[in-house]
Amino acid sequence: MDSLIDALYPFFVEKLPYITISVFFLGVALRLVRWMNAPKGEEGTHLSITAAVKYVILDLVFFRKTFKEDKITWAAVFLFHVAAGGILFGHMRGFHLWSEEMFTPLGEGVAKFMVQILPVYMGWIFIATQIFLLVRRAALEGRQLLSLPNDYLSLLLLLITSILGQGMRVFPPEAIPSETYSVVFIPGFIVLHLEKVPSFHWFFWHILFTQLFIMYIPFSKLVHIFTGVISSALYGSRRSEYGL
Amino acid sequence: MASKLEAEKVREAIGCFTGWQLMELDTCAHCALCTDKCPTYTDSKAPNYAPGVRSSKTTRLINKQLGLRAMLFGPKPVTESEVADLADSAFNCTLCGRCMETCPFGFQTHELWTTVREFVYALDGTPPKVMMLDEMLEGTRNPYGLDADMRLDWAEYTGFEDVPEKKQAEVAYFAGCTTAFKGANHEIAYSIASILNQLGEDWTLLGEDEWCCGSPLLLAGNKEKAREFAEHNVQALESREVKTVITGCAGCFRVFKWEYPKLLGRSPRFRVIHAVEYLRDKLASGELKPEPFQGGVAYHDPCELSRLGGVIEAPRVALKNLVSDYVELPENGMHVRCCGGGGLLQAANNDLRLAIVKRRLGQAKELGVQVLTSACPACKLAFIDGLRESGDDIEVLDIMELAARRLGLL
Repeated sequence: MDSLIDALYPFFVEKLPYITISVFFLGVALRLVRWMNAPKGEEGTHLSITAAVKYVILDLVFFRKTFKEDKITWAAVFLFHVAAGGILFGHMRGFHLWSEEMFTPLGEGVAKFMVQILPVYMGWIFIATQIFLLVRRAALEGRQLLSLPNDYLSLLLLLITSILGQGMRVFPPEAIPSETYSVVFIPGFIVLHLEKVPSFHWFFWHILFTQLFIMYIPFSKLVHIFTGVISSALYGSRRSEYGL
Repeated sequence: MASKLEAEKVREAIGCFTGWQLMELDTCAHCALCTDKCPTYTDSKAPNYAPGVRSSKTTRLINKQLGLRAMLFGPKPVTESEVADLADSAFNCTLCGRCMETCPFGFQTHELWTTVREFVYALDGTPPKVMMLDEMLEGTRNPYGLDADMRLDWAEYTGFEDVPEKKQAEVAYFAGCTTAFKGANHEIAYSIASILNQLGEDWTLLGEDEWCCGSPLLLAGNKEKAREFAEHNVQALESREVKTVITGCAGCFRVFKWEYPKLLGRSPRFRVIHAVEYLRDKLASGELKPEPFQGGVAYHDPCELSRLGGVIEAPRVALKNLVSDYVELPENGMHVRCCGGGGLLQAANNDLRLAIVKRRLGQAKELGVQVLTSACPACKLAFIDGLRESGDDIEVLDIMELAARRLGLL
């Protein structure tokens, strides 16, 4: 197994990122073509910037509608997205978009909390809320819901990816090739700098599933990351147009 | 084996979805938050009526032609039974738009579900009773299959004299089919006409020149025919140089105000107001001085006037001038629970319509409401049918009827 992983590792680190990015952008392009080839509708879409911003903040940042409907689901969805944002932000440190030193003026304790303690909690919250959403989906199945396979697949992919990511923190480091201290996915563009040597097996599978997940985004409901903003903006604009 | 539809026909039918709508369908994560607010689901517990299930089934059919798998390995055939299943979901819906208010992404579901009906119509899957409406509209220009010369019968039955049918007027009263042809609503027309006379308005009716507004055609999925009706009505009104169109029907109001500009590609050269907006203005200006009604009066927001039409405050302001004890129903305004009278549900599933209206009547009964008002002839009919079943002692009136009574006109 180890020899197989060792053999595949260079491919997953050096070649697969190009495929991932290509598939991601191809998928985005296919989606855009599908939507843009459809009729535009009878008249131009009314757009009110103020209302659009207001409803994007209310409905997508604070999940106002979910809060009104179901407090438990709201808590899960809100925490899930906070954790997702936090984890994404945390990863940016590895890509040198921010550093621990930026938080030092707030105190050593804050900086330590930001880079060592918070990410662990975020990871657990992320996993727990995903399991809740998965169980909720399964529990509602056949009663109120008819999920498509890709509804499950996207959640499962993300869950596996995040469990693998958390595993890197939990399990002790193993032997790892020295070059992985700086993992060069795409030279000069995507380079991950690691301070600590993670558990190699978890790291290997984590980067594989992360890339599978990224490739799958444009083909799944995960497009809501982008399109949710558009539909909420249009909803806000409609309310403004109708004087509501 | 279920017979398959021609791929070309399916592809053409998919063309009725706009780019935004395909985006909405691709985005819908089937979270089911809308489900418990859906009147047809909550009163039937039929999963097929849940909005998320409708979205899921529509997406599945579209993806058979346009999905990734179809792109890689070729499209898969759509069967007639799949279309019938989607039609069952699409027409067991009141098109009240409540799911839009719970959707985390704010999908404009009223338009989306209407397009799903258009899709079903293009694939010849529309339920037979709904198709009957469509055919009657084609033949008689109203959904009841009655002769056009019966459109003014309400005046004769209510004793309204001197029906104005002018070649030119400032104001036109567009009665709408459900008011003009349904006896239970004739007094709504009488009330509006009497108030217009009381205020000395220069107004007219279109008489036989009034065609259905096209709302039932849109709800049946026949947009092209609806466009033809819109063109006729707008031409009839513009040729009379009408400046303001008043209607007492929430469905006509919504279609005139929000659908006609889309169907015609331009705004008509007149403004459209609902009769309650007119009433509110005349009460506020003191031109109408009613004797307030003593007793508990509640108002049910017609979905097409409130959530889908943008008129929420006007009826409340008017009612507070007409009654001494105004009672607010739960689930009102933007979040109103549908009475069941919309979306052609009566044609598709009248038992479900009655179950929905009885729930709404139960809410009014719990509050001890004496008079339940609305501003829509379809809501009034639904309440009357519901009361016939439940036997509750609640009087159902349109706000305009209540106003005419308090003004001594009815």
